[in-house]
Amino acid sequence: MNSLKNIGVHVVHVGGNGNARAVLREVENLLQKLVTAGEESSIDLSGLPLSAEDYDLLEETLGEGEVVAEVHSLGPTRIHETGIPGVWWVTHYNDEDEVLAEFIEVAWCPEILLAPEDDVKDGLEALRARLFEMKQEGNHG
Amino acid sequence: MSAMELLLWARGPGLAIAAAVFLFGMTLRLIEIYSLGRKRDLAVPRSQTPGSGWRTIFSRSLPHADTWRRSTLTIVAGFVFHIGLFVVLLFLLPHIELIRALTGLSWPALPTPLVDLATVITLIALVVILVSRLLDPVKRFLSGFGDYLAWTVTFLPLLTGYMAYHHLLLDYTLLLALHILSAELLLVVFPFTKLTHTFTLFIARWYNGDIAARKGVAS
Amino acid sequence: MADETLLEILQRRGVSRRGFLKFCAATTSLLALPPSMAAAVAESLGRVRRPAVIWLSFQECTGCTESLTRAHSPSIESLIFDAISLDYHHTLQAASGHAAEEAREHSMKADWGNYLLIVDGSIPLKDGGVYSTIAGISNLQMLQEAAAGAAAIVAIGTCAAYGGLPHAQPNPTGAVAVSDIVKDKPIINVPGCPPVPAVMVGVLAHYLTFGSLPDLDELGRPRAFYGESIHDRCYRRPFYDQGKFAKTFDDAGARDGWCLFELGCKGPTTHNACATTKWNGGTSWPVQSGHGCIGCSEPDFWDAGGFYKALSTPVNSVSGAATAAVAAGAAAGIAIGLANRQRKARARGEHQTITIEDLEK
Repeated sequence: MNSLKNIGVHVVHVGGNGNARAVLREVENLLQKLVTAGEESSIDLSGLPLSAEDYDLLEETLGEGEVVAEVHSLGPTRIHETGIPGVWWVTHYNDEDEVLAEFIEVAWCPEILLAPEDDVKDGLEALRARLFEMKQEGNHG
Repeated sequence: MSAMELLLWARGPGLAIAAAVFLFGMTLRLIEIYSLGRKRDLAVPRSQTPGSGWRTIFSRSLPHADTWRRSTLTIVAGFVFHIGLFVVLLFLLPHIELIRALTGLSWPALPTPLVDLATVITLIALVVILVSRLLDPVKRFLSGFGDYLAWTVTFLPLLTGYMAYHHLLLDYTLLLALHILSAELLLVVFPFTKLTHTFTLFIARWYNGDIAARKGVAS
Repeated sequence: MADETLLEILQRRGVSRRGFLKFCAATTSLLALPPSMAAAVAESLGRVRRPAVIWLSFQECTGCTESLTRAHSPSIESLIFDAISLDYHHTLQAASGHAAEEAREHSMKADWGNYLLIVDGSIPLKDGGVYSTIAGISNLQMLQEAAAGAAAIVAIGTCAAYGGLPHAQPNPTGAVAVSDIVKDKPIINVPGCPPVPAVMVGVLAHYLTFGSLPDLDELGRPRAFYGESIHDRCYRRPFYDQGKFAKTFDDAGARDGWCLFELGCKGPTTHNACATTKWNGGTSWPVQSGHGCIGCSEPDFWDAGGFYKALSTPVNSVSGAATAAVAAGAAAGIAIGLANRQRKARARGEHQTITIEDLEK
């Protein structure tokens, strides 16, 4: 089977196509808006033609920050703060660990990490109910 | 009719009709010319120089020094236009594919950006030729409907081809359909206008060279 | 349960509000909308009542259903399809026979005027439509009945959208598209042979999310997915522009990834999402695999000349017409030539002189 090994593999490097730089400029733009007007926004990475080289360049340039978070709902969502504070990399996965969507969020805190207001109100009721139960048990104990 | 339907018609029945009219017309014209025959020249030829007719076909491509001086713009623009037209027609790959589908012949293509440049130059040459025809009082006086028709049917395929390649103004499918239809228009009017010079020019030059040789002025 | 909103359905299945947010973000991305529209998507999903969906399969190969079930956002897809009430689908449903047909009729009556009708396959018209029937009912009749009570119709696949393969010459069954029969209902065409799975899911998601039709082009296709041609998004475009073409499959040029124009690629005249969305979850697509685009989302692509003949070549051979033309020209030329000679001889005999008009001719 030597002949199979002798077939040369011609690797063509497509290289980045400048889109990584365009995304970074957009991030700069959005970060400026956050600083001046407090406006939060996101960039949808699945909608962009980014080659593997572009992705790597994007990740390298943004770097890694101090925060890593994971949300468990409809599968995991993995978030990490990039080396640029206020710029978060959010990847949504399904239960089979396949990527559903990927965003770069420019915000004080990624939206999905905030506790939803209705959930908090429901939570207050739930906590009050639990405290009441504890009190009942204390009375009967 | 959608753009796609128009394109499929142009590549289908449209081409068949255009090719049929073109071949019918040119065959008719050429047979008409040859069947007229020549009056037999009973005089003795001044010089025995065979092949003068054939040589004239090529030598007539180079104008006289006087002619150069008098009609420089017409000659230069004319050469640029004709050479540019042949480059575009014969050395763009999609055109070579068409010729291969119709006749089985093919040859290497030129890089498309080169042909694109040739197209621009050809279009400019055509505009220069038209403007020169309109501004010169003699040429304008001599020009008729046939002259302007021939110019237009030659200009349109070049323009629409350029627009299609560069995706200018309209949807590509529609532009391609218009390009093919404009070429078919050219084919249909071809045998009935002065565009027949494409073939008759060789007959005319041969005849003139042969007659000139008989009269002692061989090529 | 047919009156619940999507949000209520998700909550009933134990999906938290964060989960709903994630679902909306992913759906917004799927619909090729900017992230800023996620709030609008969330608001709409919280409001829109889930419709009943009837899927009718006519003269088709089932490729569209196969493609759809390979859609690669399983959670989104399963949620969307749990969200809709898919009341009738030949291949996917468990019921069969009379029970299935009764269920269809019941569903139509219960949701008359509101259900979404999805059609794949063309409709044969020849000989009273006998060439494709379900339970003895011709496709034509079934379509007309179902369309009468539909809120909107989605024609999935090139067969339903434009007639597809059965419509190709000589069209022995008299196959036509949905839009050739139904004239009074909004129709979304989702062509492709088969359509890209993500596109099918995206179109259905749009309708379910917003309850309205997406922006359509002049052939009835959603512009979000069919607005660009393959050529305009093809990664091999630089090679086309430079004039570097592969001559045969697997030659040096082909291996270097050169343009496939000479090998019949119909990319320039084809509108679809293959070049950006790709197939098999973004793995690859025909051109990337080295095969030219066959133009499967355009009408009459089967009759557009061969798949391996360049776009600039004729659809049919013209040699027949050409030979006939030359023969006719020759005959006419000889006849006219003889007539000319006769006229010349007569003119000489009558000693006619040549005038300026003769020379001008």
